[in-house]
Parts: sequence; structure tokens; C-alpha cells
Amino acid sequence: MILQRLDTIRKIEVVIIVALAIVLLIVPHVAGTATVTMVSRIMIFAVFAMSYDILRGYVGVIHLGYALFIGGGAYFVGILFTQFGVGIPMLLLAVVGTSVYSAIWALIVGKISGKSGMIATAMITMAFAEIMRSLMTSWFTVTRGADGLPFRVPPPFNDRTMMFYASFIFMVIMAFLLYKFTKSPTGRVWQAVRENEQRAIFLGYNTNRARTIALLVASVVGGLSGVMFGLLNRFVNTDLLDMQMTINAMLYSLIGGTGTLFGAILGSALVVYFQNLLLDLRGVHFIFERWLLFIGALYIVVVMFMPRGIMGFYYDWKDKRAQKKRLLQEAKLPPQLNDEA
Amino acid sequence: MANILTLLFNGISEGALYFLMASSLSIILGLMGVVNFAHGALFVWGAYVFRMVFIQTGSFFFGIMAAMVAGFVIGFIFEKLFVSRVYGNVGAQIMITLGLSIVFTELIRVFWGPTPLIVTRPEFLAGVSHIQLGGVGTVIISHYRLFLIIVGVVIAILGHLLLTKTRIGMTIRAGVQSGEMVSALGININLYFTLVFAAGGALAGLGGALFAPLSQSINPEIGNMFQLDAFIVVVIGGMGSFMGSAVGSLFIAIMIALIGWYVPALSSVAPVTIMALVLIFRPQGLFSLLGLLRQAVKK
Repeated sequence: MILQRLDTIRKIEVVIIVALAIVLLIVPHVAGTATVTMVSRIMIFAVFAMSYDILRGYVGVIHLGYALFIGGGAYFVGILFTQFGVGIPMLLLAVVGTSVYSAIWALIVGKISGKSGMIATAMITMAFAEIMRSLMTSWFTVTRGADGLPFRVPPPFNDRTMMFYASFIFMVIMAFLLYKFTKSPTGRVWQAVRENEQRAIFLGYNTNRARTIALLVASVVGGLSGVMFGLLNRFVNTDLLDMQMTINAMLYSLIGGTGTLFGAILGSALVVYFQNLLLDLRGVHFIFERWLLFIGALYIVVVMFMPRGIMGFYYDWKDKRAQKKRLLQEAKLPPQLNDEA
Repeated sequence: MANILTLLFNGISEGALYFLMASSLSIILGLMGVVNFAHGALFVWGAYVFRMVFIQTGSFFFGIMAAMVAGFVIGFIFEKLFVSRVYGNVGAQIMITLGLSIVFTELIRVFWGPTPLIVTRPEFLAGVSHIQLGGVGTVIISHYRLFLIIVGVVIAILGHLLLTKTRIGMTIRAGVQSGEMVSALGININLYFTLVFAAGGALAGLGGALFAPLSQSINPEIGNMFQLDAFIVVVIGGMGSFMGSAVGSLFIAIMIALIGWYVPALSSVAPVTIMALVLIFRPQGLFSLLGLLRQAVKK
């Protein structure tokens, strides 16, 4: 069922996606700076959440240290720019460094998750992010800890509109790459691992290898989204390595729909907008100062009552429709007759 | 030398706190297969409720009791309303307890504010003894830390007796082995799930209440800190093992105390590195080695 669904993209969906993309491209010419920055942030977080969905939704690894990647990428940019000067070569170095750093974490986590299962992986990854955060806090001379590290970024990224387009291109490329990955033979094995690892092993697949590849792909893409986030924010502090960032990624992909990849884009848009809304309500009542309370409550509600998210609903509906159509065709009856029966 | 003895003493007393957190986490994990990521939130609630009652009534004992009751009640609510709905779905369990931990930590900030609060030690435990040891120097013994060690030992003995000598304990141990078999024998395993989860909450609350006067300052972040260390202890001690978590707590606490003194730069990295190594090379836990040895001797 799930495998079929990925193959069939209907024309109307293509039209909607292209229309949305065009609307997005107009945004920087009609909206204020705050909106442009918010939409850029949504697009970068969308990539972060999509890469998370590869792990949680496709291969079934719960990585609670995902902040390692967005924080790591941003720190690479920040530290290289402040220590060795601002420029495109340094940016390229940051991209390479982040990829290597993310890949190393992916290999370590892959080793552990292959040996000890989902629960232990969740526990250790949480601890990894915490180590990284305490390291960055104690490396105060360079990172300035929780106070944070402001830095300048090279052109063209110092222009808000150009940064917006850069984020857009980044999102499109990464979404395309990740989509291709999920459709590749390895991507099919990921789903087999998630559904029933033992069966996948019996069928002769090397599930550890498939999981490690998923971790590598997701971690590197997550790290690159950190590089982009650093360029957008021009500031990095230890909050980016906080558990909160991991929870955000989980929430975006969960609300959009676990295992649907593009759902993460939708989820990121909704949640970031909701967060901004709550922050604006701070003046109304002090309780909105604690916006995290609402995000946490939303998160619990979604896990309990909407485990498949928005895209999940949509796909279910689409499946049902397709099934109905097929049944009708098989029965070779005009639809109204069938409905009466 | 005296320095090392003081460090060991401090380590053991903090080990008692780790033990309160880790033993309950471990039993919950063993029995229900649930990692309670909200255990730290229960710990913080214990600390704040203790402080409130301690200041209001002036009684240390009432404060401790109130913290345990709070932990029990919140643990009960967690299990009944949330966790019980997602048994068998590991992913959903992890996420739902994470969500609960966020919400309940934020509630602390709503009720008591985000800034650290000061807690005083009760007068009868506030003292410090300097013990002169011939030749090695002076060992500093804080009375409160001594009290922590006593509480830890008492809880360990009571817990061990409860688990090995009573019918309830027998059912719980049987449930750790095979929950399905237990319920097939006509025992309401769900009731045990709720009780164990709530009792685990009470132990976490007790941990928080005992921690508050030790550090003399509490903030909403302390729960997460202790939870991480408790995870490390659970992994090292073997998931689901009560006595394993006792040994693991001592090991980790003493290690953190010694490394924190001699190589402070490594104090946060070392325990997690050990956890990672144990997960890669001995996923069943370091101290299940003891169990294996004992079995070999019996044979």
C-alpha cells in the first residue's frame, strides 16, 4: 500500500506544488523583512524536519540528539567565520566540516542502534547532544557559550532576499534528493526495516547497512540545514544544541505526517507560524510567555490522537478513493447503481 | 588521601540520589518496556513541592512526604491517562513521555518562575563533622550527605525485600520476565503497571526532595540533568535490574566525583562515553556480569 502510494503522484498535486512554489517566490517582493525571514526559517527547518523524517518515519530510528546536526552546522559556520575570516572559501570549508562531523555521529549511532535497539538509541543520542552542548558551553573563549556567537556572513547571503532564495533552492534540492532516496532500492529496505526488521533480515537484506545509510543521509542533510540556519541567523548559541531543537524536528514531521517526507514542510510552516503567534500574544497574558507549554501540549495531542499527521490523513483519503475507483471498475457498474446497492 | 576519602564519601551520597531515579526507571523499563523520559519532570516536581511544604510547615518530614505523594499522583496520572494508551508502540511511548516532560517542566516555570530558588537544609542535618584520621588527614563528613546514604541504603534494602520476598514483588519480577504469561495466569498486570509507574514517580519525587537541600538551590533544569545520569546508570546496570542500578549508581556517582575533581574537563564526557561503549560491547549491561558469575558458581 505504502509503496504504491509513493509512485502515484497525481497531476493536480503537481499543479498545487508548482503553484505554491510560485507563490513562495513572490513572497520577498511583497512581504516585510520579518515575514521574509520567517519564511526562510520555515524552509530551512523544513529540510531539518524532512531529514528527521527519514529516520523516524522511514527507517524507524528515534534520534533524540538531532540538535547535534543543526547546532553543529551552525557552529561550524560561526566558528570558522569568527576565527578565520568571512568568505565563501570558509563557507565551503564549513560545509565539508559539517558533513564529516555529521557522518561521524551517524556511524557511531548506527553502530549502537544496530546492537542495542530503539530504546537504547533514544537514550544515548539524547546524551550525545547533551555532551556536545556542555562542550560548547565550556569552550567559552571561542563559542561564548550560552551568550552566543554573532558573526557576519559573506555576500550574497547577507541580503535577506538572496538568503530567501538560497533557502528556497536549498529546500527544493534537498526535498528532491531525499525523495529520490526514499524511492531507491535502499529506501524500500528502510521501510522494510521499520515495518518488520526481523522479516527484512530473513529476506536477506542487510538491515544494519540500510539503517546506517539512512543515518548518514539524514545526519548530513540535517547538518547542512544547520549551515543554512547559521547563515540566516548570523548568530549561534548553545540553545541550538538543546533538546528543544530535536523536539521541534519531531513535532514538524509528526504534525505534517510521519513517513510522508513532504509532510515535514507543511508541519514546519504550521508550527513555526504557531510559535510566532504565541510569542505575539505575550502582551495579552503572561501565560503566553511560556509558549513551550502549548507546543508540548500540542505535541502530546498529536502523538495520541493524530499519529499519522496531516499528510497521513490526506494519503488515507486518497487510498480510499483509489480503492473505491478500482472496485467500481472491476464491477463494471455505473457509479450511481453501485452506490444504491 | 583524605581528599580522596572525602570525594568517595560525596560520590556515594550522590549515588544514593542516582539510585532513587535509576532503580525506578529501570524497573519501569523492565516491566513495561517504557523509558520514562518524564522521570526528570517528576524529580523536579518533588524538589519544588518539597520546598513549598518545607517552608510552609517547617517540617522536613512533611516536605519529603508531600514530594513523594506529588510524585506518586503525577506518575499515576502519566500512566493512566497517557502511557497506558501507547503500550507496545515504543516510538509513541518515547515521544509521549518527552511531551509530558516538556509540559510538566514548563508548568514548574509557570507556578514557581524560571529562576533558581534557594532551599535551606533542616537544622538537625545542617552540620559538618571533621574526622581526624591518623596519618591521612581530615575527612569532611557532611551530616546531610550521611543522611542521604542512609536513606539510599534503606530504600535499597526495602526495595530488594519487596521484590524478592513478597507476592507483589514476585508478580513484578514475573512481569519483567514475561508480562503476557502473568496476565494469562489471571493477574491484572495493568494494575501492576499503574502501581509500579506511580511508585517510580514517588521515588523520583523523593529523589528531588532530597536533592533540593543538598544543592541548596533548585531550578527547572535539574530534572533533565539527573535524568541523563539516571539513563547512564540504567544502561550500565542492565535494564530492568534493581540491584544492577544500585551498583551502577555507585559506580557512576563515584566516577563523576573523582573525575570532576581531578579532570573537570572530562566530567560530562566520561560517563556518556562509558554508556556508549557499554551499549556497543555489552548491551545487556556491565553489572549483569555479576549475575552471570553467580549463576556459574551455583552450577
